[in-house]
Amino acid sequence: MLKLTDKLHEEIKSHGAQAYPFEGCGLLLGRMENGTNVVEAIVPAANTWPVEGEKPVRFQISSDDMLKAEMEAMRRDLDVIGIFHSHPDHPPVASPRDLAWATWPGYSYIITQVWEGEPTYSQSWQLLADRSGFVEEMIVETGD
Amino acid sequence: MATIRIPTPLRPYTGNNGQVTVNGGTVGSALADLTDQYPDLRPHLFEGDTLRSFVNVYLNQEDVRHLQGPQTAVAADDTLMIIPSIAGG
Repeated sequence: MLKLTDKLHEEIKSHGAQAYPFEGCGLLLGRMENGTNVVEAIVPAANTWPVEGEKPVRFQISSDDMLKAEMEAMRRDLDVIGIFHSHPDHPPVASPRDLAWATWPGYSYIITQVWEGEPTYSQSWQLLADRSGFVEEMIVETGD
Repeated sequence: MATIRIPTPLRPYTGNNGQVTVNGGTVGSALADLTDQYPDLRPHLFEGDTLRSFVNVYLNQEDVRHLQGPQTAVAADDTLMIIPSIAGG
């Protein structure tokens, strides 16, 4: 389960809209509590995928941005608990590329659909322990 | 003994320790000691004998690929961080 406030979810959706028609991306900071990933903050990142023409369907977060996010998490006594990215004009379903480049089970992979520039809805995914696929997890929005 | 900071999703394999102290004079031997202490961690970091392609190791916030890779010397007061590369579609 992924738990986050309405406000943070809106920030994730806005980042996806700003990145359109490219994929937008960033990191989720928070805590892993008894199987629930609780988001406390987000760290937007640049999409550094090296081929400009492929950015509508690919994203990459630079190692510098990853290191900065880890250091920010340490400074705030939080952890990096997941990744967010957008799917421009495609459903927010984990793609074969998301699976091929997935890291470790336990992270939340929240994906937001951005349709013709407008963010619509998000779905969140977790990598299976045997790395064979993603399974959807529930998103619980809370008030501020 | 150097310290390795463990990424959150891998802590179930280190007894929920966020940091582990390791023996070894190089990055390679420090990682070997880590996975000797916690064998269930190994498949999440290594594919065969090599680090998985998305696994990056930082020594005092510097990517060891820009140093001497696994042969990079590690001192007792050093901190290693394991940080994944993130990409998708």
